[in-house]
Amino acid sequence: MIAADRKNAGFRSCLRLVLIVCLILVSGIAAVLPAVAQGDGDSSAIESRVKAAFLYKFANYVEWPDGLFPQPSSPITIGVSGADSLKDELAGMVVGRLVNDRPIIVKNVRTGDSLSGINILFIARDESSLLPQLVQSAQSRSILTVTESERALAQGSVINFVMSDGHVHFEISLQSADKSKLKLSSRLLAVAQQVTGTP
Amino acid sequence: MLVGLATTFAALLVTGISLIIYEARTYQRTLLDDLSTQAEILGQASSAALTFDDPKSARESLLLLKAKPGIAVAAIYNANGKLFASYARDDQSAQTLPSLPELDGSRIEGNQLSFFKRIIDNREILGTVYLRANYELWDRLRSYVGILAVVMAFSLVVALLMSVWLQATVTRPILAVTDAARQVMERRDFSLRVLKTTEDEVGYLVDAFNGMLAEVGRRAEDLEATNRRLQHEMTERERVQEDLRKLNVELEDRVQKRTAQLEEANKDLEGFSYTVSHDLRAPLRAIQSFSDLLVEDHAEQLDEEARRKLRIVQDEGQRMGTLIDELLAFSRLGRKEVRKVDVNMSDLARTSFERLHDQHQGPRVEFRLAFLPSSKGDRVLIGQVWTNLIANAVKFSSKRDKPVIEVSAVSDKEENVYFVRDNGAGFDPRYQAKLFGVFQRLHSASEFPGTGVGLALVQRIVVRHGGRVWADSQPNEGATFYFTLPKEQSNGTI
Repeated sequence: MIAADRKNAGFRSCLRLVLIVCLILVSGIAAVLPAVAQGDGDSSAIESRVKAAFLYKFANYVEWPDGLFPQPSSPITIGVSGADSLKDELAGMVVGRLVNDRPIIVKNVRTGDSLSGINILFIARDESSLLPQLVQSAQSRSILTVTESERALAQGSVINFVMSDGHVHFEISLQSADKSKLKLSSRLLAVAQQVTGTP
Repeated sequence: MLVGLATTFAALLVTGISLIIYEARTYQRTLLDDLSTQAEILGQASSAALTFDDPKSARESLLLLKAKPGIAVAAIYNANGKLFASYARDDQSAQTLPSLPELDGSRIEGNQLSFFKRIIDNREILGTVYLRANYELWDRLRSYVGILAVVMAFSLVVALLMSVWLQATVTRPILAVTDAARQVMERRDFSLRVLKTTEDEVGYLVDAFNGMLAEVGRRAEDLEATNRRLQHEMTERERVQEDLRKLNVELEDRVQKRTAQLEEANKDLEGFSYTVSHDLRAPLRAIQSFSDLLVEDHAEQLDEEARRKLRIVQDEGQRMGTLIDELLAFSRLGRKEVRKVDVNMSDLARTSFERLHDQHQGPRVEFRLAFLPSSKGDRVLIGQVWTNLIANAVKFSSKRDKPVIEVSAVSDKEENVYFVRDNGAGFDPRYQAKLFGVFQRLHSASEFPGTGVGLALVQRIVVRHGGRVWADSQPNEGATFYFTLPKEQSNGTI
């Protein structure tokens, strides 16, 4: 028994090492996390990459109204308005990933494009002139709007990225989420820098 | 009592050890379960923090562990294995955080238990939760053993008290019963009684035992009384038997004496009658001779009347002579020795009848003689029996027109029964008893002449041969006379 335990312990510590190595090598997020990415490229590229990662991860913490998706495996479509580099980054990230068993599709949204079929809409800072209009039409379609402009929440956006201490953070408007008939996980709220409005 | 206590102690010890083992296992399992749940909750709570790189939020989650004093250190590592957030109950513990997370599982180091658990969300490893709890098994077991020791000591004291109490209420009365039973067996004293101290089953036992003793005592007394009575009866019976035996001896003695006296008297009587008969013959012979001479010499001088009277004198003299002869024969029989030989009964009966018939005047008698089995006996005496019986038959049937005499016999295993039957006058069966007495006559001499000695003689001869004589008859319907002679066995003596 004692011999077996000892053997087991040896085997375990060996496995542990292998796993740690694997973790470091395999993890997809490794590259995007600022801790790892520090000193690598310019800061706006990092920022764009982190925001791309956050974007598809929000899907995990959002509950859309019943019946919005025709099937349990219907894809989640992320529309990106402006910010082409972020769009490319995101498209590369989501390949082969599933969120709640749904694949993720990334789409460019240009001026005048229809918002139908889009579930998450990112409106870049340089497209903020279109923001009120897009947010308006997104609300009626239960689209999670994500922005990166100051006072965007006041204009109806649900999630808005903010930068502080060189880190990407976000703020949430529960009021806007409510208008879009979206439910946000409390865990998401817990990590938000600021939560406005009470549902 | 000591045995009882030892048993109780052993039972308590086994129970205690079982409890300790159980407690040890349960403690470890509970602790692990607890940590696992805790890690799961922490993982869930901090998954968003890890996803969106928010260590502050994760730290806040970890701070909730303050409510769990058992957890000394907790930490969350990100997917790269870097420390993401940590919590320590005190500063000292904070120094000992593992630099890298390990595989899922637990590890015991001294009095601390380390636990690792991966945080997985959407099939992606987000990080690892690390928990280190105080592993207080030995402390717990120590206090548990302490409690058990106190409980055991208390139990033993209670058991001791119970045992003392039980001894007083149960064991002691039973021991008393046992003691009494032994004393009863040793001393056979059934008056012993056990004191009843309780009103429970033991009390009933004592009652039952006392009752049984009383019953056994009564039985024993009864038995002894019966024994005494029987013994007394036995001595009484023996005494009576002894008396009886004495009486018997006395009686036998008396009978012997009487018999001797009787024999003496009989002998005297026979002697006397012989002498009388013998002495009577001489004067009788003189009377007969002189009356004969008177008829021969002086018949013409006597007239008819005188001759008739003289004839009567002659006849009576003749009769007296016969009487004397028979009396002599009868009395001689008492002294005479019986000489037994084979006797042809048929011959003897026929010659007797022929001799009698020759002298007989009157109608011719039909004589029917069947085959008679031969017998052992004195030829002369048996001949006399036949002569007397046949003479009787001839005499009493002489007044019939056709007198018939039948002689026959039947035999069984032990004796021959001979009989003589006639069709003569017969007799009244009431007088059967007188038939065989000396000088006993049922008919007058004028009717049937006779002396009254004949049948007495027959009886005497037959009895001397070991046989019996009897007769049956009705008046005027003839008579049958029976006599038996025993079949001789080889010894030939009577």
